[in-house]
Amino acid sequence: MSIRAHEFNKSQIKELQARKLKEVVSRVYQNSPFYRRRLNEAGIDLSSFRPDDIKKIPFTTKTDLRDNYPLGLISVDMSKIVRLHASSGTTGNPTVVAYTKKDIDAWAELSMRCLEICGATSEDVVQVSYGYGLFTGGLGLHYGAERLGAKVIPASTGNTKRQLKLMKDLGATVLACTPSYALFLAESAKEEGIDPRRDLRLRIGVLGAEPWSESTRKILEEEFLQSAHDIYGMSELNGPGVAIECRKKNGLHIWEDHYFVEIIDPNTGEVLEPGEKGEMVVTTLEKDGMPLLRYRTRDITILDDEICECGIAHAKIKKIIGRTDDMLKIRGISVFPSQIEEVIAGFEGLTPFYQLVVDRDGPLDRLLVKIEVSEDFKSDRLVEIVDLQKRLEEELRDVLSISVAVELTEPRTLPRSEGKAQRIIDLRKV
Amino acid sequence: MTKQFSIFLENKPGRLSSIIDLFERNQIKVLAMGIAEAGNYGIVRCILDAPEKAAEVLRDANTAVNLVEVMIIDLKDMYSAVRVLGEKGINIDYAYTMDMGRMVIKVDDDAKARKALSEAGIKTY
Repeated sequence: MSIRAHEFNKSQIKELQARKLKEVVSRVYQNSPFYRRRLNEAGIDLSSFRPDDIKKIPFTTKTDLRDNYPLGLISVDMSKIVRLHASSGTTGNPTVVAYTKKDIDAWAELSMRCLEICGATSEDVVQVSYGYGLFTGGLGLHYGAERLGAKVIPASTGNTKRQLKLMKDLGATVLACTPSYALFLAESAKEEGIDPRRDLRLRIGVLGAEPWSESTRKILEEEFLQSAHDIYGMSELNGPGVAIECRKKNGLHIWEDHYFVEIIDPNTGEVLEPGEKGEMVVTTLEKDGMPLLRYRTRDITILDDEICECGIAHAKIKKIIGRTDDMLKIRGISVFPSQIEEVIAGFEGLTPFYQLVVDRDGPLDRLLVKIEVSEDFKSDRLVEIVDLQKRLEEELRDVLSISVAVELTEPRTLPRSEGKAQRIIDLRKV
Repeated sequence: MTKQFSIFLENKPGRLSSIIDLFERNQIKVLAMGIAEAGNYGIVRCILDAPEKAAEVLRDANTAVNLVEVMIIDLKDMYSAVRVLGEKGINIDYAYTMDMGRMVIKVDDDAKARKALSEAGIKTY
């Protein structure tokens, strides 16, 4: 087990954070015209800066990154930058992030820590089935696994048959990919006549880049691999490796020597207490190339600063409940796909594949949840099928507080995805 | 002992046709077919001449299919059969007609129904 992950106790972390917060604020003030202007406008006095003053600093948003496209938020001389990644940028400018050599090194270290927390060692064969390229998933896990001394299969995404063949023939023991792709791989393995227990050696799943539920964990751990861990990250915060689930699997340890976390009310910006649900805001403590102060991640979670039984002192965030951008506002009520996923998991004969269709009937929003049935779905009695549909509708209404229409679809009819799942179709005209 | 295939289908144009195509391609003959529908869903219930092959073909096509125990009687026996079942407290869940002057019946207790009908001199298949 990593020395670094267990290096600190809670009070040491708090001291370290207080010192580093002051350092990073001073550093960006000196090196970044963008932040100098921001901090001046907010009237931040650096000479008397105390950790609590962080609350006075304005948030940095994705829009700030786009407005300062491509490299307006860099805090070092360009000559120090050794790597650039970019988000897909489906709306407007992509988000570009820049790394110094030290940043790449720190990122590899954190990614390695995450793999170690999941139980991986230098003996493991790590198949990295996140996309390689501008997306940080592939390279982030790649560097972590390499630093660990494991054997890396840089499979990237796509070509599922070949993925399964490599997994089998090279004896992959760790799979790193999105949870929806892991489900797809599990399903495809069955189709290819591969029995995971007999033909594969997968011990550990390192699954992230999108929120996923306990029901997905249950399916994967019953049918495909031994232990599925949630990994969290985003390119603005280096990439994957920001936080990871330990063996207790009741939250993700976030590396507090690198990231200072606050949870805020996404509507008012007010800082919330541990235990309260809100948007995670992160200040990077070590990033050199592009440090961010109070970056709004748009991810909804809960901070848990209690001592974890696993012995790691770094605070935990709960599994991401949803993204403010994935959050559907239906008749004024916030709906997260993960809530729907949990309900579906409680019923027999259904798959984890579903789709949400929102449209408008006059002034009213309507939510239709399409759920794919499994091949062992009980299909002889219509009355049972209609009853199942009604029970799903009732339970969803109870959980979401809005009425929902459910439609069951035949097996293999909803779209599959190799990267992040596309589950929402919003037909409302804005 | 007769096995019926109950196939879950979405109630929209072309779905039934795709199942029929599948049978035809695999030279599976349909001996009886009943369709039930409720809103968005339909169930196609059928008796097929090559049940083992059909089960494999349907699984390979990723359909949601269940195998259900049903009884077949001759249509000429229908009146008396229905009476016997009623007297014995056996419920008929559904029924549909079949080629060769026969009829498919799904009851809530297959073994009990077969016994009662055989005692009344009614042939079951």
